[in-house]
Amino acid sequence: MKRFALAGNPNCGKTTLFNSLTGSTAHVGNWPGVTVDKRDGVYKKCAEPVAIIDLPGIYSLSPYTPEEVIARNYILDEKPDCVINIVDATNLERNLYLSTQILEMDVPVVIALNMMDAVEKAGDKIDAKELEKRLGVPVVKISALKEQGLHDLMERAFAESQKERKGTTVLQDTPLAHLIGDVKIALAGQKVANPLFHAIKLVEGDEIEVDMHKETLEMVSEFKETFSDEIFGNDFEALVADGRYKYISKHFAPVLERRSKEKFQMSRSDKADRVLTNRWAGIPIFLVILFAIFHLTFSEDFLYLGAIFGLPDLETLGLLTAEGAPLNYGVRWLACIYDGALFSPGVIINNIWNDMLVGELFGWIQGLVESSGMAGWAVGLINNGIIEGLAAVLSFLPPILVLFLFFSILEDSGYMARIAFILDRMFRRFGLSGRAFMPMIMGFGCSVPAMINTRTLADEKERTATVRVIPFFSCGAKLPILTAVAGAILMAFNSGNGSADLITYAMYILGIVVAILSVLLMRGTTLKGETPPFIMELPAYHAPQFKNLMLHLWDKTKHFVKKAFTIILASTIVIWFLTHFSFAWKFLEDEQINESILAGLAQLLQPLFTPVGFGSQLGEYGWVFVVAVVAGLIAKENVIATFATLGACLMAFGGLDFSSIGGLDAIMGDDTGITAVWAMIMATNITIPGLISFIAFNMLTIPCFAAVGTAKSELGDKKRFNFTLLFWVAASYITACAVYTIGSWWWTLFIWLAVVAAVVTVIVFYNKGKIKLNLRNKGAK
Amino acid sequence: MPIVFAPLNIDLRIVRVLADDKTKKHLESLGITVNGNVTVLSSSGGSVVCRIKDGKVALDSNLSTKIFVA
Repeated sequence: MKRFALAGNPNCGKTTLFNSLTGSTAHVGNWPGVTVDKRDGVYKKCAEPVAIIDLPGIYSLSPYTPEEVIARNYILDEKPDCVINIVDATNLERNLYLSTQILEMDVPVVIALNMMDAVEKAGDKIDAKELEKRLGVPVVKISALKEQGLHDLMERAFAESQKERKGTTVLQDTPLAHLIGDVKIALAGQKVANPLFHAIKLVEGDEIEVDMHKETLEMVSEFKETFSDEIFGNDFEALVADGRYKYISKHFAPVLERRSKEKFQMSRSDKADRVLTNRWAGIPIFLVILFAIFHLTFSEDFLYLGAIFGLPDLETLGLLTAEGAPLNYGVRWLACIYDGALFSPGVIINNIWNDMLVGELFGWIQGLVESSGMAGWAVGLINNGIIEGLAAVLSFLPPILVLFLFFSILEDSGYMARIAFILDRMFRRFGLSGRAFMPMIMGFGCSVPAMINTRTLADEKERTATVRVIPFFSCGAKLPILTAVAGAILMAFNSGNGSADLITYAMYILGIVVAILSVLLMRGTTLKGETPPFIMELPAYHAPQFKNLMLHLWDKTKHFVKKAFTIILASTIVIWFLTHFSFAWKFLEDEQINESILAGLAQLLQPLFTPVGFGSQLGEYGWVFVVAVVAGLIAKENVIATFATLGACLMAFGGLDFSSIGGLDAIMGDDTGITAVWAMIMATNITIPGLISFIAFNMLTIPCFAAVGTAKSELGDKKRFNFTLLFWVAASYITACAVYTIGSWWWTLFIWLAVVAAVVTVIVFYNKGKIKLNLRNKGAK
Repeated sequence: MPIVFAPLNIDLRIVRVLADDKTKKHLESLGITVNGNVTVLSSSGGSVVCRIKDGKVALDSNLSTKIFVA
C-alpha cells in the first residue's frame, strides 16, 4: 500500500484534513519513545487504498522539538511515497518556509493550499497555477473544513507518487549557494540519500547533521573562517533563514493578490484580542469562562434557578416513596434531571450514565450472578470485586468527557493560546510557563484528563513537574472524603457552626500551596532548568468544528475504556481479594473486614502512621484509617464506601454502643459517610489534628489507580514514574506530619519553620555552588 | 531598540536577535529573522504581541528585550 504523509504548521488545518480523508479508519497511537500522538488511517477513493500518516504540526525541520525530529526522520527514513504539505493560505509566507525545507528532500511533494475559503471571503486571490509553476510541484486549492478539493488533491498526489523527484532549493541566490553545491556533491559521493537536504542542514550547523557527517563538516568550517557578511557575520543559520524568506517574499508571495492595499487593517480576531488579552480585562474574563465550564460540568443547581426561585424537590412534590426512592420509572428519569433544582448538563449526563445505563446494566448482571447459585465467594468476586470496580471506573467517564469537550472547544477556537499568554507572567515566578495552567486547573475536575493535557507543554522537565503536582489540585472524587470527615468532626467535637465548609476550603488551599512549594522545590533541585521562553502563535479565532470535537472525544473514550479494563480492573480485584479473605484463606463477609488480609497488613503498617496522627496512638481499632487510605488508592470514591463498611464492622465487633445515633441502619444508610466516620472517631479517640492530617494525607498521597496509570503512560520513563510515586508518598507524609504536629503542639511550628529555612538555605547555596554535597555518598546511605 | 519599547502598528525591521541557538531557530521558523519585518500589535507589562508575515505571535518579557528592531 502506498503511504502519504501529511506535513504542515500547527493550526494549518492538518488534523481536519486528516479526519476528512480517513474518516472511521483513523487510528491513534504514539510515536515510539515520545508522547506525541501518531495518527494513521486509510484513504479509499483513489485507484488503490492509500495509507495516510499525520505527521506532528511543525514550523521547521530543525531538530529542536521532538515533533520536528519525528517529522524529519519519518520523511527521511520511512520514505513515504508522497508528502502532502498543507499550507495555510491565510499565512502564506510563513507556511512556505517549511515547504522550502521539505522541497529539499528527494521525495514527491504536493502542496495543499488550505483555507482557500477564508482567503476568498476576505476578497483576496491566489493564483495557484502560477505558484505551481514557481514551486515546481503540484499546488491544489482545498478547504479541509468544507471538504472541497480533497479528491483532486489525492488524485494529484497519487499521480506524483508514481514519479521520482529530486530535491530543489531556493538558496541558489545566496552567497552560500556554492558551498551548498560542494557539500552536496561530497555527500552524494559518500552515497548519502537526500544529499541536498543534508548539505543545507550541515551548512546551517544543525546538531543532528554535524554528528552524522563529521568529515564533511570540515568543508563548512573552512569556508566559514574566510566568510563574513555585513549583516549576518558568519552566522550561516540566520543567513539561510533569511535567504529562504527573501526568496519566498520575492517569488512566491506575489501570487497572492490582496484586495485592500491597506496594511494594518484590524481583523475580527485582532478586535477580539484587544479585549481578551487586555492587561486588565483578560484575567477576569478568563475566570468567568472557567467558572462557567465548572458550573456546566458539576453544578447541581444550573444557573442557580433552584436557589433563586425556591423550586420544590421531588419529596415535596410527592414523587418519592416513603423510603425516599423514586415512585416509578418515569420519576427515576426525572431524578436524573431535576431535584429541587435543574441540574447542569454535565450532571444530567453523569446521572443518566451512572443511574440509568451502567447502573441498570450492572444491576441486571449482578442479579443474574446472584440467582445462578454460584459459591458465595464467586458471587462476591464478580459482583463486588469486578462489577463494582468497573462501575467505579466507568462512573468517571461522563465528567471526564464533558470537561474534555469544553477544553477542546477552548483549544479549537484558539482561545487556549491566549489564556497561556495572559497567565504566563504569573506562572514564570514558579518556574513554569503559562501553558501549565490549563492542566492544573483541570485537576480540580479530574486528574486523568489533566495529566493527558500536559502534552501541550514543550519542555520535558516542566511537564514532569506538572504531572506530579496535578493530584494536589483536589479532584471531584476527593470532595466527599473532605465533607465526610469535616462533618464528622462537627458531630463528634461540637465545634462551631459552619466550620465544615471552612475545613474543606482550607484543604483546597493547602493542596494549592503544597503544589506551588513542590514545583519550586523540584525546579530548584531534581528538575532544574530554565523556564522555556514563551513564544506562541496566536491563531485566528474560529468556531470549533463539531466533527473534530467528536472524533477527539472518541479517541479519549477508547483510551480510557482500554485502561479501565486492564490495569484498573486488575487492581480492583486485588483490593477486593485483600478485603474479603483472611490469612487462613477464608472468605469473609463485608462486615468481617477486621479479619481480612488488608486489615492484618494495616495493623502491621499502623506504627508507620504514628507521626501523622492515625497510627499506634489510636489503639486497637486504629487500623481502620489505614484501611481507608489503602482503599482510596483504587478510587477516592471507595473511601466513603469503606467508611461505611468499617463503621458497620466496628459496630459488630468493637463492642461500642451506637444506639444513640440509630445503630447500624444509620451508618449504612448515610450516603455522606459522616455517621460512619463518627463511629470511627468514637472507637479510636482520634484527635482533630489527627483527622485533619488524615484528610490531608488522603488528598496528597498517591492518587487513584486511574490517575496513576495515566501518569505512568504520560511520564514514559520508568525511573521518572517510580520517583513520582515516591514523591507523592513523601509529599503527603511530610505535609500530614506537619499538620498533625503543629495542630497538636503549636510550638512545633517553629521547628518546622527552622527545618524549611535550613532546606531552602542548603538548596540556594548548593545551586550557587557555595557548598558541595557529595550526593553519591548520600544516596548510598 | 528592543522590541518591547517599539511603537505600535508601525512596520519595523529586525536587526539583532540575542537569544540562544535553540530559541533563535524557533523564532526563525516563525518568521522572526534578522532583516525580517515585524509590527508590534500590543505590548503590556513587557510581553509583546506582534504581527509577523500574516501570523500573530506572543513573546514573553524576557525575549522581548532580546529582539532588537529599527
